[in-house]
Amino acid sequence: MNHSIRILLKSPKFMIGTIVLVLMIAFVLIYPFINTKDPLEMMALAFQPPDSNLLLGSDNFGRDLFLELVYGIRTSMMVGLIAGVCATIIGLIFGLASGYMGGFVDNFLTAITNIFIVIPSFIILILISVSIDSRSSLVTALIIGITSWPWTARAVRAQTTSLRNRDHVNIAKISGHSTSRIILSEILPYIASYVVMAFVLQTASGILSEASISMLGLGPYNTISLGILMNWALVFEAPVAGAWWAFIPAAFSIAVITFSLYLMNTGMDEIFNPKIRS
Amino acid sequence: MKVKRWIGLLCVLVMAASIVAACSSGQTETTTPKDQTKQETTTQTDSTKTDAATTDTTKTDTGKGDAKETPRNETLYINGLQWGAPTNFNLLSGNPAFPINYGNSREIIYETLFMINELNGDLEPLLGKRYEWNGDLTLHIDLNKDAKWSDGKPFTSDDVVYTYKLGKKYDINWSSYWTYIEDVVADGPNGVNIKLNKDNANKLTVLDSIEIIPMLPKHVWEEIEKKANNDLATIRKEVNADPIGSGPYKIYFYNDQKITVVRDDNYWGKALFGKLPAPKYITHVVYKDNAAGDLAFKSGQVDVSQQFIPQVWNMWKGGAPIKTYLKDAPYYVPGSMPSIFFNLSKKGLENADVRRAIAMSIDYKKISDLAMSGYSAAMKPSITLNSDAEAKYVDQSAIAALQWTTDVEGANALLDKIGAKKGKDGIRVLNGTRLGPYEIECPYGWSDWNASLEIVAQSAKAIGIEIRTKFPEAPVWTNDLQTGKFDIIMNTPAGSVSPSQPWNRAHDIMYSKGVAPLGEMAFWNWGRYKNDQADALIEKIPTVTDEAQLKSLYTDLTKIWLTDIPSIPLMYRPWVFHTVNESVWKGFPVEGDGSNIPPQIAIDGAGIRALYQIHN
Repeated sequence: MNHSIRILLKSPKFMIGTIVLVLMIAFVLIYPFINTKDPLEMMALAFQPPDSNLLLGSDNFGRDLFLELVYGIRTSMMVGLIAGVCATIIGLIFGLASGYMGGFVDNFLTAITNIFIVIPSFIILILISVSIDSRSSLVTALIIGITSWPWTARAVRAQTTSLRNRDHVNIAKISGHSTSRIILSEILPYIASYVVMAFVLQTASGILSEASISMLGLGPYNTISLGILMNWALVFEAPVAGAWWAFIPAAFSIAVITFSLYLMNTGMDEIFNPKIRS
Repeated sequence: MKVKRWIGLLCVLVMAASIVAACSSGQTETTTPKDQTKQETTTQTDSTKTDAATTDTTKTDTGKGDAKETPRNETLYINGLQWGAPTNFNLLSGNPAFPINYGNSREIIYETLFMINELNGDLEPLLGKRYEWNGDLTLHIDLNKDAKWSDGKPFTSDDVVYTYKLGKKYDINWSSYWTYIEDVVADGPNGVNIKLNKDNANKLTVLDSIEIIPMLPKHVWEEIEKKANNDLATIRKEVNADPIGSGPYKIYFYNDQKITVVRDDNYWGKALFGKLPAPKYITHVVYKDNAAGDLAFKSGQVDVSQQFIPQVWNMWKGGAPIKTYLKDAPYYVPGSMPSIFFNLSKKGLENADVRRAIAMSIDYKKISDLAMSGYSAAMKPSITLNSDAEAKYVDQSAIAALQWTTDVEGANALLDKIGAKKGKDGIRVLNGTRLGPYEIECPYGWSDWNASLEIVAQSAKAIGIEIRTKFPEAPVWTNDLQTGKFDIIMNTPAGSVSPSQPWNRAHDIMYSKGVAPLGEMAFWNWGRYKNDQADALIEKIPTVTDEAQLKSLYTDLTKIWLTDIPSIPLMYRPWVFHTVNESVWKGFPVEGDGSNIPPQIAIDGAGIRALYQIHN
């Protein structure tokens, strides 16, 4: 484990991605202590251009966009993380169970996974978002999580199936270890690197999904996320007003976050995937 | 899988790029909420919205050939009333195109008996010469003997009776008036008697009917009815491409981009107005959205705009001959009061002091500035608009002590006084009830309302009451509103300007009889307010004609409203956004010109008198 981390640290792609992400997280966590104002406070006029006081101008409600952006990045990352964790856990459970147990369990779980794969997850996402009454960022994150797990499940299942017949697994079986123990100690460590990469991708896609449904006006209420910032900019026709500061920084932040996550993922891929390891 | 993720990322970048592109071509204005054109949702049909919704039903050109160009200096261009391709000119169809729209382009083709003047609430004669009450139950109307249909046939009392009775026969726009009307009978060829329903003698709503019901020619519509076998569904399908009306214009040309009407030089009203209207043609251009319409208006391609134009003062900054009716803020004449309603069964909100504190916490100036570009004058809470037409009904000095203004300290002091102490999280607790979180609701995308409610939520935070905004889709909001499934909800009580105001508004806010209990559909008094005294006053007002007595009744009612606060008005909204560009046509009415022509976009109600005043 330590060995792989050391290799990882030498990968420039992984390092660039990580550093960008860590800096960003550090900034959005620390900045609210420096500027303790309420991001929802309407302090200026609508769509004021950036100046020394308002670093990124104001939005349609006259709120400080820079402060909003900081809180927005926080919410979006949190939503992405929760969605990523949720999707990865569900995918892992489904994938491990069906891959290792095989037989009826495999058929059944694969069928469910396939059903979820053929239904476009974004449509489920929209339908659930429209129908539920309470929309907090946590609920949104969970909805994203439970609609985006199938491909993790598929990939984990494939890997588990190939691991199932390895010698050390057979030895563990002969030794009389329980199924859950075999899965946890004999299979999981071998796919851990893959799971971490899948988790990174799920987090990135969670952030994108949140932005997408918020853009449609179906995002969480009473909070600020990057998608919601862009949604308000759209509703109040910021592009027509020429108020680029209302949406470009938010779109750019999403791009930077997801890009750094993908960069991390690519870096890890190069290390852990023997086929493309240099 | 990874490819898909990369595509997702790419999408974000492309989106950003396209927004930049859109941005560079845009002009420097702020907030252009498209749905500012939305009609108020109470009595009138939501014409602009339905038009927009039906755009794609007629893709192909339904017009009579190529786009007929009309000379610019003979044509008056209008925008903001029609958002999709015209589908029909049939008043009974439910969604007719300009200029047949029920209640927003009266007097162009079909005329009403009287013309409403929003400045003073007067009913000016048109097809009807004068009206008088014969006793308490009969409204007698003398008709104009000169009036003719555009096919030359005379306009008579038979047409009036026929048109009114269509509303009794079918379920159409003016059917609701039959709740208050018992019968409409001819009194000779040029007189009509409207008999009121004895059990529900409401003089005010009957007066509404004479300024809003467009008169239809009996000889034409009887044929249509016969052809359709008296079946409303079939009648609705009639396109009526060349409507016969009594008005000064006839349909000239239409396609999916514009609708043009041409002046009828034999118009009977020449005798009434002394001359014919100045523009030979009136064209309504169908624009894609607000932004396109505003741009065309700014460049002088449109003369009269009924669109929400953000920061309208920027339009004439460069010296363009653009005007609003009022020279300075608020620029437009107020016409309605979008308000928030409290669900009076919710714990905490049932306390009038809490509601008063919320009312005092709200920053009305900010709502006007951020949501309405400053088009809402300073808030003076009352059930009447702060306009000449309505303010006269209430003794302003008698209610002054009860009116609230933005006063956060005062609101905090009031809450302290009733013993609502702040908890650890900064939210007050009153007798064990945490004040919040309450949800405050209006439809998504109604941007001026969305902005207002965000401000209310922010304002309440400052006094330790937690209010959260909720913006569902419009049908959800309608359902929540009617069934009472809300804490606080935004709506406009009785939106239109009519003779029955402010009674109509007071009725919608406070009248409790006939309101279904929570969980069932209610069409007014959504918060289920109940006050017997208010009910009695609301029942009495429509039967009273004495001005002094009316004033005292309205003043009493306003006092009750100001004490109990079942609703809080957030802003004044104009009835129509009347903005004119005088590049081609000059002499549009403005405040103080002595003409008493209301800013009703030159084609609606008494506003049509502007057409006789303008010149090249």
